[in-house]
Amino acid sequence: MNQTVEQVNQVIQQRYKAGFYTDIESDRMRVGLDEEVVAMISAKKDEPTWLLEWRLKAFAQWQKMVGPDWAHLKLPAIDFQKIHYYAAPKQKNRPKSLDEVDPKLLETFDKLGVPLHERARLAGVAVDAVFDSVSVGTTFQKELKEAGVIFCSFSEAVQEHPDLVREYLGSVVPPSDNYFAALNSAVFSDGSFVYIPENTRCPMELSTYFRINARDTGQFERTLIIAEAGSEVSYLEGCTAPMRDENQLHAAVVELIARKKAKIKYSTVQNWYPGDENGKGGIYNFVTKRGDCREDDARISWTQVETGSAITWKYPSCILRGDRSAGEFYSVALTHNHQQADTGTKMIHLGKDTTSKIISKGISAGHSNNSYRGLVRIAKRAANARNYTQCDSLLIGKTCGAHTFPYIESANATAKVEHEATTSRIGEDQLFYCRSRGLGEEDAVAMIVDGFCKEVFKELPMEFAVEAKALLEISLEGAVG
Amino acid sequence: MSALIDSLAAEARLPADDHAQVRRGARKALLQYGFPDMKTEAWKYTSLRVLEKREFSAEKPAPSDRPVLPFEAVVLHFDNGILATDGLDLPEGVSLVPQTGDQLAVADYGDRSGAFAWLNLARFEQAWHLRIEGRLERPLVIATGTAEDFQGDVHPRLFIELAAGAQAEVVEVQQDRGQGLVNIVQDITLGPGAILRHLVSRRVAQSAWIQRSAVTLARDADYRFHVLDRGGRLTRHDLNATLVGAGANAEIDGTVLVNDRQHVDFHTAIDHQVGHTNSRESFRILADGSGVGVFNGRIHIARGADDSHSDLNTANLLLSESARINAKPELEIYAEEVTASHGATIGQLDDTALFYMRSRGIPASEAAALLKQGFAAAPLENIQPEPIRTWLLGELKNMM
Repeated sequence: MNQTVEQVNQVIQQRYKAGFYTDIESDRMRVGLDEEVVAMISAKKDEPTWLLEWRLKAFAQWQKMVGPDWAHLKLPAIDFQKIHYYAAPKQKNRPKSLDEVDPKLLETFDKLGVPLHERARLAGVAVDAVFDSVSVGTTFQKELKEAGVIFCSFSEAVQEHPDLVREYLGSVVPPSDNYFAALNSAVFSDGSFVYIPENTRCPMELSTYFRINARDTGQFERTLIIAEAGSEVSYLEGCTAPMRDENQLHAAVVELIARKKAKIKYSTVQNWYPGDENGKGGIYNFVTKRGDCREDDARISWTQVETGSAITWKYPSCILRGDRSAGEFYSVALTHNHQQADTGTKMIHLGKDTTSKIISKGISAGHSNNSYRGLVRIAKRAANARNYTQCDSLLIGKTCGAHTFPYIESANATAKVEHEATTSRIGEDQLFYCRSRGLGEEDAVAMIVDGFCKEVFKELPMEFAVEAKALLEISLEGAVG
Repeated sequence: MSALIDSLAAEARLPADDHAQVRRGARKALLQYGFPDMKTEAWKYTSLRVLEKREFSAEKPAPSDRPVLPFEAVVLHFDNGILATDGLDLPEGVSLVPQTGDQLAVADYGDRSGAFAWLNLARFEQAWHLRIEGRLERPLVIATGTAEDFQGDVHPRLFIELAAGAQAEVVEVQQDRGQGLVNIVQDITLGPGAILRHLVSRRVAQSAWIQRSAVTLARDADYRFHVLDRGGRLTRHDLNATLVGAGANAEIDGTVLVNDRQHVDFHTAIDHQVGHTNSRESFRILADGSGVGVFNGRIHIARGADDSHSDLNTANLLLSESARINAKPELEIYAEEVTASHGATIGQLDDTALFYMRSRGIPASEAAALLKQGFAAAPLENIQPEPIRTWLLGELKNMM
């Protein structure tokens, strides 16, 4: 009997490998949200007065706002007073280097396959690891410093580079932008900060790994990436959380600023705990991500693979302000069991000769609902703007839903906008063909899904592409038959 | 919207019939929900400011013109929104009676996005039930016109019922010359195997023209809708087709032309409630001057409606610096064994085609006109019967 239970557990573990919990003593702020909690977070971080005022203003705005109800999601009421807004692993003093970090934490990230220690040198990717509300360490800081690149936790940036933070914070996503951005602005606890100086190509890929560990907490991190003129950076983001029966809230804000001829590539593999097969538990993922091509010839590219979270509400966007600037969005969103996703992008064409491309692939299985929601807006002065959008949906099973809501607005007679969308199931003939060549049904489905997503996967950095492919296969387990 | 809200109180103008209670219920719903604003998703791109400033007059306007048509037809003339029953000669198989209280009592238009349908139910003077049996030899023309001094609000209500196996062509000729509000509600049901060709030719001056057509298709019914909309100060048409029987087929084709100070908003929704149903839609907007065109096309395939197929296509031309087009093709799919697709483009006249024509000696303006006409004519080209097609294409040509 014991053996059976163990076997079952093993299978569950395999399906969501990141579902373990690290037993580490943590320092949690009291439950609930009010001005005092906002001030306490600010005090914990030893923040300057202007930032505290900024937070309090955001909090006041948030209190006046109501949550969004327009998405194709069944949103349960979230009790914001039952969440701990700050949780951090206990450590006596802030570790000066990775050697001083609690080995339990390092072990956690090791288990997740995030190279923080010895392996870091081999992987050649600089990582900022965020555990609950704080960053526990950033690798390769010295090497990056030599190139002039700043890559550190957000709290560190507030202390070390206050002018840069003050100039850019909230300049792409102002606190009043939306309900969850306002909440994040009030209570954000950490995140990553990247600054690439002029004419610099970042010598290595930068990466942040977000981990929610503590119970009844929310994670509210902020990422700010500034690419000066002529610079280039590729940034990766991964996320996981333990398996729990309760839902947990994640409300992040990501701001990208690309100056003249700068290039930013932002890739995400989102694998928050999606809840169990009955829809119990899982992360509520409400994220505001926006890039600003602030000057001419800037380029911002978003690539995302979304397999996790009970609810995903996320629209990585590009404001194409500079002339000839370009925005790209490549997305694979997979929902299974009772997951719900309402995700897409916004491309706001303001400058002349701006171009954007959107490739979105949605896969729905089980009882899930998967929606693409996108906006392409061509402003009056955006002469010769071009957009191409393709969104395809794949349905696996009779109880899921796949939806497409594209908003296309054009106010310039020289602009060209094209949109295509299709929805279909995996063809019997395709399956039959694969099976007649000796593939099992699940393998055949995995192979077809892989082909369906190929256009997006090829945009991902190699390590991520391998991980994304494996994730899709695991997430689809049990979806067939 | 104050003038409209005030008009609700003016009960004196309404006829003394059995529907007072229905009207009161609708009025209560409307006051509860209010009129939509631009935060209402279904009205995101259409502002009602034109109506807000407008004062409505109860004065009886001059009679509106009866349309002159190049084909033989049975004409129902809604003069300034009120059916002229004098000398009405209906062919065999067609009956026209007032709607019963029971038919009206079941109407439900949801929240504020259905405000104008509620307004219609609260303010209608006549509600007609047109029943068609068998095959109609001549097209049935529903002519709704307003005169130049029309400044009132009218709320025509019509229920068109096609019995099982009936076949008809219903042509709506809508010509507005006034500056009031025409707020039409149509319910159309197609019995098993019925075939309806529903055509609309519309030209609106300064009035706000709001129309809601809700079509229900039973087993093997076939509904074809064609519209040529030549613009108006504020036009909004909601066309909802619900396919409730296997084998049902719905096709929607439309051309909309907007120019200076005109705004036309078309919302279509095709709902596949059961499997083995098909739909197709093709919609084109040409926006010139400071015109604004809005197209929202929704396809919904319900759970279990397997083996349904749907395709929607919208192509739009922006012809001037201050024109605008907003398009939103939507898919909402809950069934597995289906194919559903949509395509949307917004662009301008093709330079290569223009160059080609000019190199063959066609002046630039003429070449552009030919291209525009060719583009606009596409959705109208499969209209049957031929005389109606020729007439509509001629109307289009006159506009160019």
